[in-house]
Order: sequence, then structure tokens, then C-alpha cells
Amino acid sequence: MAGDRFDLGGGEPIITLRDIAKSYWREELEIPVLQGIDLEIPTGAYIALMGPSGSGKTTLLNLLAGIDRPTGGSLEVCGHELNDLDDDHLAAWRNAHVGFIFQNYNLVPVLNAFENVELPLLITGAGRGERRDRVDHVLQLVNLMDRKFNYPRQLSGGQEQRVAIARAIVTDPDLLVADEPTGALDAKNAEEVLALMERLNTELGKTIVMVTHDPKAAHHARHQIHLEKGVLDRTVEVNR
Amino acid sequence: MRWLALIWKSLMRSKRRTLLIVGSLVLSVFTVAVLQSLLTTLNAVTDNPNSSNRLVVRHKSGLTQMLPRAYEAYLRQQPEVETVCALQWFGGYYQDPRNFFANFASDEATLFETFREEFGTAGITEAQMKEYIRDGAGCIVGESLAKKNGWKVGDVVPLTGTIFPINPRLTIRLIFKSPKPSDENVLHFHTKLLEEGVPRMKGLVGSFWVRAHRPEDIPRFLERVDRHYANSAYETLTETENSFNLAFVKMLGNIGAIIQGITAAVVVAILIVTGNTMATAIRERTTEIAVFRAMGFSAGRVLSLLLAEGVLLVGVGGLLGVLLANLAANAVRGTLGAAMPFFADFAIQPATAMACMAGALGIGVLATFIPAYAATRRPITEGLRAVG
Repeated sequence: MAGDRFDLGGGEPIITLRDIAKSYWREELEIPVLQGIDLEIPTGAYIALMGPSGSGKTTLLNLLAGIDRPTGGSLEVCGHELNDLDDDHLAAWRNAHVGFIFQNYNLVPVLNAFENVELPLLITGAGRGERRDRVDHVLQLVNLMDRKFNYPRQLSGGQEQRVAIARAIVTDPDLLVADEPTGALDAKNAEEVLALMERLNTELGKTIVMVTHDPKAAHHARHQIHLEKGVLDRTVEVNR
Repeated sequence: MRWLALIWKSLMRSKRRTLLIVGSLVLSVFTVAVLQSLLTTLNAVTDNPNSSNRLVVRHKSGLTQMLPRAYEAYLRQQPEVETVCALQWFGGYYQDPRNFFANFASDEATLFETFREEFGTAGITEAQMKEYIRDGAGCIVGESLAKKNGWKVGDVVPLTGTIFPINPRLTIRLIFKSPKPSDENVLHFHTKLLEEGVPRMKGLVGSFWVRAHRPEDIPRFLERVDRHYANSAYETLTETENSFNLAFVKMLGNIGAIIQGITAAVVVAILIVTGNTMATAIRERTTEIAVFRAMGFSAGRVLSLLLAEGVLLVGVGGLLGVLLANLAANAVRGTLGAAMPFFADFAIQPATAMACMAGALGIGVLATFIPAYAATRRPITEGLRAVG
């Protein structure tokens, strides 16, 4: 059954969720994780998904990023009904529309910063020169041009996360999803990363959905959506 | 960055593991290539197309027993026979017992005709043959053997007998070239020299090598000769040259089965080792594979990348193994070739090299596919360990 509709206002929706449900199965036992999620997120929004552990926030993030599929409801993101896409088309869709930022950065240790950022471009069909220009551009944006040939082990945590952000935006996606992006960083580096994400939202118009436990991080978003036991609990507009 | 660079860098993430697996592949492919080439070489000994119409007549009781020279007259009278050459293994050495090579006392008059394919008679003049036939203390040697010992026509070669108590001093009258290297590691001298030097060999010889007019004449001839001498003091065993050679190969035991058994064991062992290594390597990259797929790499593309890593790994190992086997074959030809003539033909045949490479690549695909397929079928969220 659909829950209350959460509409964050603003412009054209980039994400529309209708009666989304997600369950996992442990042997014969169905474990519902999300139920009756109805939500519209406008283009250019900056959302912090919050809630206690097990509330379903990461599951919801995975669904709207197209790396998991709902067990019920419909899910339209960046103009595509994701339930209609098969696995290969969904992969191509992710490459074109979604950038991922992970808590543990998840850089490939045997590739340098430049090569890590270049990875998503390898499957776009972009030529070598174009790839180089785009990688250089985003590395400049995250202020890491002087570290572009450094390997992850030669970078600090904050620098690694900035490389991961550069990798997330190098294909110029409409949507950035971030799962606890500051969870592994100290306060100073966390602040730098959050400031960078805010710039991506305000200056480049990227829609950002971020899962976080950290109220300080959530304060950088423009809206906070709280989940409780798999249902949307409330939304809060952040006054900055 | 190109795809190949990505694959190579992924392979090199654990240099020690990669080097160890490549090393074990090199050793395995080397072993299989050498053993299979040995089998091919031995099979060639018993399947010589030049010997399709040649037969060997010897004593039924074994190679150490002699036959009367007088049998030659009967053999010559048979309508199927083109020519007959009496041949006796001399077993001498030159200067050092380790400097061993094939040497025979043979009928100088019929030798060239009986073994015309081996002597490559096109390069031998009538005058050279006559010169050898005329000189009772003369000998002929193959070019490989002459080169190895630095001999030239006119040189005197002192042979030390090991079976017979004579040490003939032979003058080289002819150095011949042969289409097969193994046929060039041989020396022939006159049977008369042996008969004169060893009284017990008077009127006796170890074997007759008979050249029939046509291969189809052989079965009839075989049966008639052995029946003719049945129940005599010197019963004969007549067989084709290939079957005669097979008897020597059989002295090594069922070498074919042994080699195939070892090959199978090596293939299974390397499949297990490679499979386990690839499974471990892929398991360690579960999260990375999930990140690739999250970024938009399809499951098929990730599977292709992982398979390419496996194939590149075994490809490098296989190639090095084949190259090493080739070097070893060259060394064997140069060292053992003179002592054991069939080793003079020992080489890693292109077909064997190709089969080894194909086998190695097959192992790479098989060993990588199962863990790689499982990894790419795993849900991305599971790979990211991101259930919230």
C-alpha cells in the first residue's frame, strides 16, 4: 500500500518513486526493508537520507541508483523507468546518468588517480584525447592535478575521496549518489569533501542523494529525508 | 589507458602470485611440449615413409645372433626383391667412449641403392661412390657427424671396437647429406674389413636389409622367407623396417602410455593450481568488481576482462614454456643427437607448440570462467556490502 506522497517541490522531478517496496528473503522468511515509498525529487536537489541502522536508507539509495531492483512499485529516474531496463541497459544507464561516491572510496589500488578517474569513460566510446581532457578537467575541479599520477596508497583519505568524486562526475551524470561519503574521514577532510559536493550541486547543478548518519554532513544538504523501519517518516528543509 | 594496460595492471597487483603461477605454467607447458615432442619423434622412427618398401631379415632369436651370408643369394632370387644390403652393427667409438655414434659394417656395393632416400644420392657423384667401393679401408660419414668431429674427405678415423676386438682405421671417402639430421649421424665401412679382422664373423652377418620393388610385395615375401628357413639352424624373422624400429622403441616400455599419463597429470595439476589462483584473485576483488559494475560495466564486460586476465596469464606462461622447450630441444639435438640418432630429429614441432598453446589457453579460460562468472552474477549490492 502506498504511503504519504513526499514532494520536495522545486522543478521537474529527476526521481519519481511510486509505492516502492523491497524485501529480502532468508530461506523461507520474507524480510521487508522498504514499503510504500512515494517520493519525487526535483532536478538539482541535494538530499540527505537519514535514519537509524536498518531503516532502509542504503537500500533506497541502491534502488534509485539502479544497482538493485525493487520487489514492488515503479521507479523513474532521469527519464527512464528502471523496471523496464534489462541488466545490460541498466548498466549503460548507470554509466550515463549516475555517479557513485562510496564511504571507503573504492579506488582501484593498481591504477593511479588519473586512471581511476578515467575508468567510467572507457565504456563511453570517448576517444583517448577526449578522455584525457575530461579527466584533467574534473581533477582540476577537485584540485588534484598535482596528484594525478599518484596511486591511492600515496594519497590521504581526503584526497582519495576527492579522486572518487572526480571519478563519479567524469561522465557528467545527472545524479550523484553518496553512501556515507565522509564516514571514513576526519573532520577537516570531511568538511572539504562536503564543501566540494555542495559546489557540485550549486555550481554544476548535480542532483545529489547522500546517505549519512552524521547530522553535520546532513546539514550541507538542502533537504533531509528521514526513514524509519522502511517507510518515509518525514522531510526536513535545511535552513542554511 | 588502454584495455590491455588495465588487464596487465590488474594481473600485476600481486606480482609474487603472478610470477609463481606463470612459473608453474612455464614448467608445465615445457614438460608437456618436451614429452609430446619426444613421442612425435619416436613415432617418426617407427613411421618412416622412406622405409615403406624396405624389410629387415634377422635371426629369429634376437639381434645378437648372426645369419649366414649365404642367405643373401636366396633373398636376391626372390622376384619381389630389388636389392639386398648386409648390415652389421659395429658399435665402435671415436677417441672417447662418450663420443658414441651409429657405425655399421655394410655391403658397400648395395648400400647406396638400398638406402637411396637417406643418402640423398643426388649430391653424390658416381666417382665418389666408386672411390669408396674401391677402398676396402674407406668409410662414408654423414655431414652432421663430420662437422661435429671436424672431419673432411681423406681424414683417417680410428674407431675403437666395443663388441668386436678390432680397431679399424678408416679413411673418409665420402661425406653425404641427408634430408633428415638423424640419418647424418652415421658411419659405414666395408663388411669385408670386419670379416677379415674378426674370424668368428667369417660368412656371418647380423641382418639383411632388403628393398622390395613395391610395398604391396612385402607381405608375400615376409611369409615366404621365414617359412623357407623354418626349422633350420638359423631361423629368420623378417619384418618391415618400421616394425624393426618399433622393437627398439618398445625396449623403452610403453612410452606412449607413460607420456600421455604424465601429460594428463600435468594438465589436471595445472588446471587445479590455476583455477585456485584465479578463484582467490577474483574473490579478493569482489568489491572492486561490484564498483566496476556500479560504474556501468556490464556483467559480460567484467567477465570478458577477467577472462582476458586469465588468458593473458596462461598465454605468457605457455609462450615462455614453448620457447624454453624449443631451446631444450636444440640442446638435446646438439648433445644426444650423435649418440642416439633419433634425437638428431628431436624438435618441438609447430603442431605440438600450437597444441600446447591451445591447451594452456583452454586451461586459462576454464580456470577463470567459473569464479569470474560467479563473481559477475553476484548482486552489486552484495559486492559492495552495502545493505543498509
